[in-house]
Amino acid sequence: MRSRLLSGFLRRQEASIFVVALLLIAWFESANHDFLLSSASLQNLSQYIAPVAIIACGEVMLMIGGEIDLSAGMVYAFAPFIMHFAADAGVPMFIALLIGLLAAGCIGLLNGVITLLLSVPSFVTTLGTLFLVNGLTLTISHGTPVTPTASEAFAQVFGAWGYSEILWAIFVVIVLHVVLRHTRWGLHTVASGANDTGAREAGIQVTRLKIGNFVLAAVLAGFTGTLEAFRIGSIDPLAGGNQIMFLAVAAGVIGGTPLAGGSGTIIGALIGAAVLGVLNDGFTLIGINAFTFNIILGAAILAAMLFNIHVTRLARLGDAR
Amino acid sequence: MSQESDRPNVARRVMLHGAGVGSALALLGGIRPANAATPAPFPSHPGWKLVFVNHVTTNPFFVPTQYGIQDACALLDCDHQWTGSTNADVAEMVNAMNAAVASKASAIAVPIVDPHAFDAPVQRALDAGIPVFAYNADAPAGSANKRLAYIGQDLYESGYQMGERIASLVDSGLVALFIATPGQLNIQPRLDGAVAAIKKSGKQIDAQQIATGPTVNEELSKIKSFYLGHQDLKGMFAVDAGSTQGVGEVMQEFKLQSKDVHAGGYDLLPRTVQLVHDGHLDFTIDQQAYLQGFYTAIQMFTFLASGGLTGPADTNTGLKFVTKDSVGPYLSTSTRYEGKSDKPLIVERSGPIKS
Repeated sequence: MRSRLLSGFLRRQEASIFVVALLLIAWFESANHDFLLSSASLQNLSQYIAPVAIIACGEVMLMIGGEIDLSAGMVYAFAPFIMHFAADAGVPMFIALLIGLLAAGCIGLLNGVITLLLSVPSFVTTLGTLFLVNGLTLTISHGTPVTPTASEAFAQVFGAWGYSEILWAIFVVIVLHVVLRHTRWGLHTVASGANDTGAREAGIQVTRLKIGNFVLAAVLAGFTGTLEAFRIGSIDPLAGGNQIMFLAVAAGVIGGTPLAGGSGTIIGALIGAAVLGVLNDGFTLIGINAFTFNIILGAAILAAMLFNIHVTRLARLGDAR
Repeated sequence: MSQESDRPNVARRVMLHGAGVGSALALLGGIRPANAATPAPFPSHPGWKLVFVNHVTTNPFFVPTQYGIQDACALLDCDHQWTGSTNADVAEMVNAMNAAVASKASAIAVPIVDPHAFDAPVQRALDAGIPVFAYNADAPAGSANKRLAYIGQDLYESGYQMGERIASLVDSGLVALFIATPGQLNIQPRLDGAVAAIKKSGKQIDAQQIATGPTVNEELSKIKSFYLGHQDLKGMFAVDAGSTQGVGEVMQEFKLQSKDVHAGGYDLLPRTVQLVHDGHLDFTIDQQAYLQGFYTAIQMFTFLASGGLTGPADTNTGLKFVTKDSVGPYLSTSTRYEGKSDKPLIVERSGPIKS
């Protein structure tokens, strides 16, 4: 009975990577007892995980449909500047934040329209907007960082308070998990990724659906950038960038969403982001030397992935027997 | 070469001697209307094009450098181009240099962020009669690089001075030295200098080097992680702008100055300046980014105007330790000299000048 429960658990897409995450946490905790057992450490770990997780949710929605958004890291830096300029012009802060997200949504709309209506592969479309948005941000900001000017309470809610980002991330994960698993939107997204032509012939509005997902991914990226701006206390034109975009895509893949589309999981993206966050936080906490850091980080990501893939395979084998 | 035909004659060259960097600065400082009555100091030239190749073209640090170049070019009626790589890709920088040579630039300036990669491109430019200057980062001592002069901070020396300052603040224990991208020639020498000075002080300081990453969001998290894992540390110092801001944020969050932890670093990001003012950072080092552009453009011009007779000379743009006592003007003003504003401005000051 117990073994059936276990194999049932391990057959779930997210399960094996969850085991990897737990093993890593246990190992880092035994290597340095400051890793988890204080509020400050937990907060810091959550801040590694949250931004990657939120962007990863948007990427997973796209990846399930067989698309990708490479411009996410640049929209991340772009949206808070639009918010800042709106606030500077006298717009109330909350409306300014919405204007920033609207601007991010416009980039997503542009990505979607070019990809779906003008038939450019999303890899190329968003590669183009990646540079375009980066240049736009640098031009409007004159390349200099600015300090966000919101009330203390507003800043606390939107990123400055230690756990605010992770709460937002969990909120986004829950909403999108329900959307993906239990709504027509989500099921159609999976269908369009598995078989685009079939989905269209079945009457699914694939074009509208995917454009919507591009907008969603861009808005989430812009929102993450805004949260991070309040956390850091500075709106920086070079924040985020390709690094965070690649981390988000990696989180999706590590969590069990293939790049080719047709399947995927939002919860997996959160766990994938957690694995990357634990590795980054843990190795820095231990005090790995600057030169060797990336060797160890890269090897650890590979090892985690190998473990993940083969545990899933073994679980399936055991099942077949 | 077009600039050869415009080479000033001897009488003009005599005038040029009085018109070096100093008087150009004076011009910028507001004496311009008085000079306007006398004949222009330089004859007309074909609008020399000064090409500045850079390793991180979009980095906030170089915003004042670009203003310095713009101001010098406006003053001297030259064109300029700001080009290169956004992410320290040396191949991209070499391409930009080759393009500048092909487009017959009048002069080229480049931060030599790689010990050998720029030897050949610099030689090619010189062979084509184009003077090349290094700014911000220089070829290592004894290098085969033939650049005419270096204008910028002596990086190793600046790190060394930071190391001496660290040794004067901390007696013993663990000191963290944060670096965004280890191995990069415009920041690694600072770290090496700091480590050398700490070693030479003979104090029982355990200096650990930690990589923080290229973006501010990442840097802050990494610094926090390291602190949480090493709460007995006695100092946190950084050799780049983003990490310095991160160090200040962590000092503030955990109120470390009250636990006798010392901190400091480089550059004048707005948050960094505020954190120095609030006492969370002992110091930050002002590298005079504006002057790195302004002086380089002036040197290019004087070289071109004098047909190579005036200059070029190595110029140390210096380093200024900005502390709580001296940070005031950085906060109260918003100028092109620090890059916080693009508006031309004469900054009023009063009272005795303290170095």
